[in-house]
Amino acid sequence: MRSEEELSMAMDAYADMVRRICFLHLKNRYDTEDVFQNVYLKYLLSDKSFASGEHEKAWFARVTINACTDHLRYASRRKWVPLDVIEEESGVVDETASEVLQAVLSLPEKYKNVIYLHYYEDYSAVEIARVLGKKENTVYSWLSRARELLKEKLGGEWA
Amino acid sequence: MNRIHESMKDIRASEELKKSTMDYLRQQRKRVRDRRIRRYALAAACLCLMLTAAGYTIYKRPVSYISIDVNPSVELGVNRFGRVVEVDAYNRDGEGLLKQAALKHVPYLKAIRRLLADEGYLGYLAEDSRVFITVISDSREKILEEIREDELTGRYGARTYTSDLTCREEAHRQSMSFGKYRVCLELSRYDESVTVEDCHGMSMGEIEDRIETCKGHGHGNGNGGYEEDSDSGKGHGRHHRHGH
Repeated sequence: MRSEEELSMAMDAYADMVRRICFLHLKNRYDTEDVFQNVYLKYLLSDKSFASGEHEKAWFARVTINACTDHLRYASRRKWVPLDVIEEESGVVDETASEVLQAVLSLPEKYKNVIYLHYYEDYSAVEIARVLGKKENTVYSWLSRARELLKEKLGGEWA
Repeated sequence: MNRIHESMKDIRASEELKKSTMDYLRQQRKRVRDRRIRRYALAAACLCLMLTAAGYTIYKRPVSYISIDVNPSVELGVNRFGRVVEVDAYNRDGEGLLKQAALKHVPYLKAIRRLLADEGYLGYLAEDSRVFITVISDSREKILEEIREDELTGRYGARTYTSDLTCREEAHRQSMSFGKYRVCLELSRYDESVTVEDCHGMSMGEIEDRIETCKGHGHGNGNGGYEEDSDSGKGHGRHHRHGH
């Protein structure tokens, strides 16, 4: 079990990334809170040692994506009323950002991950393949398809 | 900076979310620790229970037997710690005695002393009665030594012998203590007409007298093939024979 100090450090380092991945996949802040807490609980209970900060960050990204996927699978079986996640972030997201976010959020789940990891976290396709446990060619293909979809929604100079 | 990065840069984990998560993790840490403690406590309790059960099994298993015969015949089962864990009577006189004397869970020498000092038992210890103490044990020499050196057994002139488990089994098939059965066998070697049934109705003194009489008449085969290593007088009895 991790120490309080380790938890605090991981909270400072990865909370925003975990929150953003949750934002991409989940429908409201309650789901986000659930997944966010579960990711850190998994970290608390994990005895895994990390070779570097990058290794640890990749672990958080992978665990968060998997937790979101699991949560969506569970959520699809229950009745719930989705809130508008962008509405929830209205205090911090301006109109231009909102347009981009709407476009990203409208992407299929698998494309959201590659777009976020590549354009926000600056991960290469090779690194994304490692985080997602997919083949590099698959990641390239998803990135390409996601770019096309965003181009359709946002026009030529979207990125 | 690309537009995607720009659009998401302000989406952050709020301090409230971080704080509630840290609180949640502290609770979970405590729950996990409590659960572990409970699990360890349960495991420790199980271990204690198993050790207790194993200890009790060892404690209650007799490894030595002591037969004390006058007319009442009493057998003591002694565990490896030298404590009496089984007490059996082999005639009505013995059964009566066992109801009165608390012999279980005390050291065997103390149990013998308690038996010999019992008011009910004193009635059987008349001047011409004889006390026979027969031992079956891997550490028979040590047990016999302690019995011989005891003041009370010495006062009653207790004769000490050894026997073995085969003799004990045969004795029990005849509903007799192995101490008395050993003497019966000795008598039957001098006088072939004597049966175990006859011995049931005789006290130890009477059987010994018959043996002495037979010896006097030159019957039988001497001491019946038994090794005898001491005198046969009263006082601190030292009759010590092996086996049946």
